[in-house]
Amino acid sequence: MTTYKLIKDPVFNNVTSVLKDSSYHVPFDPDNTDYQEYLEWAKTNTADPAD
Amino acid sequence: MSILNVNKINPVGGGSTITIAGIASVTSSVTAPSFVGAVTGNVTGNVTGNVTGDATGLSGNPSINTTGIITATTLNYTGNQNLSHRNILINGDFRVAQRGTSSTSSGIHSVDRFGVWHDNTDEAPTQAQVDVASGTTPYTLGFRKALKVTNGNQTSGAGVGDYIWIQNNLEAQDIANSGWNYTSSSSFITLQFWVKSSVAQDFKCYLRSRDGSQMMYPFNTGTLTADTWTKVTKTIPGNSGLTFDNDVNQGFQINIGCFFGDNLTSAATNENAWTAWNSSMRTKVFTPTWYTTNDATFEITGVQLEVGPVATPFEHRSYGDELMRCMRYYETNNHTTYAKNTDGSITSYWSTITSNDSNTLVVSTGIVYKVGKRASPSVTLYNSANTGTANRVNAQGTERTVTATYGGPNALTRIYVSGASSGNYVTYNWEAVSEL
Repeated sequence: MTTYKLIKDPVFNNVTSVLKDSSYHVPFDPDNTDYQEYLEWAKTNTADPAD
Repeated sequence: MSILNVNKINPVGGGSTITIAGIASVTSSVTAPSFVGAVTGNVTGNVTGNVTGDATGLSGNPSINTTGIITATTLNYTGNQNLSHRNILINGDFRVAQRGTSSTSSGIHSVDRFGVWHDNTDEAPTQAQVDVASGTTPYTLGFRKALKVTNGNQTSGAGVGDYIWIQNNLEAQDIANSGWNYTSSSSFITLQFWVKSSVAQDFKCYLRSRDGSQMMYPFNTGTLTADTWTKVTKTIPGNSGLTFDNDVNQGFQINIGCFFGDNLTSAATNENAWTAWNSSMRTKVFTPTWYTTNDATFEITGVQLEVGPVATPFEHRSYGDELMRCMRYYETNNHTTYAKNTDGSITSYWSTITSNDSNTLVVSTGIVYKVGKRASPSVTLYNSANTGTANRVNAQGTERTVTATYGGPNALTRIYVSGASSGNYVTYNWEAVSEL
C-alpha cells in the first residue's frame, strides 16, 4: 500500500513535496504523474504530516 | 466509315516519319521504335528509350510501385509523411535500458519508455531486455535488442481481473505537433512492430487517446506462429472525436496485450475502428492459452509509429540520440547497462555538508540534468555503499536519511540530510523520474 508523507523545505519552511513510499520525493508539479496520483489518493486519504 | 486495309505504309522519299492527323484511337497494339506526341493510354511494354516530354499523367494521384530504384536529381516532396524523425516513438528498438535489464515489478523497470504492467497474477512475469538472435529477420534488418515478457506460473488459471500488457505513453504535444490531421478520417498514422510468441495464438491490442472524450482503437496481431517473428502493421485513420492537447501530459497510448482478463474485454468490442473509451471493452475476448502456459514468452522489437498511410522502414537512430530522448523521462548517474567505469564501478556524487542559519544540514549537489525533464521529476538518492535502500546517502561512512530535496525540471540543486555533521563528505547516487 502506497504511503505518503508531506515534506517541508527546511530553508523556506513550507511544504513543497511529498515523500512516496519512503523513497521518492515527489514535487508539487501538476504535470508530475506521481503528484497526480497523490492528488487522487488524497481525495480519500490523508498524508502523514511533515516533521 | 471507310476502312483501309494495308500491310505496310512507307514514308515518302525514304524519310523516317509518318504523321497521321486526327486519329481518334487505335484499338490494338502499335509498335514503333519511337513515339512523338502524347501517350494517353497504358504502356504495357518496356520503355528503354528516353522520355523527353513531361509525364503529365503522374501529376494526378497515381501510385508508382516498383521493386527497382528510382533515381532523381531533385525530389519535390509534397506529401505529409515525415522524411526524418519519422518514428514518433522513443526506444522502439529497445536498446536503452537505464534501470536495468530484467525485473518482475509492474511498470517501467527494464527498457526505457515501455512498461510491462501486470496485476492479479499468481506468479509475476519477468520483463527483460534481450538479444535478437542472429539470422532472424529482425536481426538482418538491424535489430539487436527486444523486450521480452516471460510469463509466470498462473496456477489458478486466467482470472477475470488478471492482465499482463506492454504499454507506451506519448506526450499529447507529440501527437498534436506530429503532422497527423487526426480529426480527418482520410489522414493516417501507421504502427508497425515485430512480435514473437512461444504460443501460437493472436494477441489483442488497443490504442487510446487521453484528452477530451477519450477514445480507443482495438486491433489484434493476427494469429502468430509459435516461436516465429511476425511483422504487424496497422494503418489507423483519424477521427473527428479525437483530441490531443498541446501539452506535456499523457496524450496517446499504445497497448499490446499478453493477456487481458474478461473484466477488460468484450465480444462486442469493435476492432479496427475508433470508439469511445470503455475500460471493460478494451479488446475482444482474449485467448488465454499463452497466459495459462507456464514460462510462455512474448517478444517485440522494431516498434514504429509514424504519420502517413504507409509503414516505412524502421528509423534506426544512434544510441546516443535515443539515450538523450529517453532522459527526458528518466535519468540517473547509475546507468546500469552502459555508463559504468572501465573497472565496472559507477561514479557516485561527492559533496560536502554545510549548515545554514537554521542549523539544517544542506548538501549543494551541483546536479544539472543532461536533458531537461518533461516535468519536475520525482527524485530519490541511494547510499553509494548500499544501493538497496532509497532515500539514503553515505555521510562520512554512515548511512543517513534524506529529509528533503530541492530542484526542478533541469536540476537537483540541493538535498537535506539528518543526523550528520557540517563538514561531512556525502556520497550518493541518484535518479530522477518524470514518466508519463
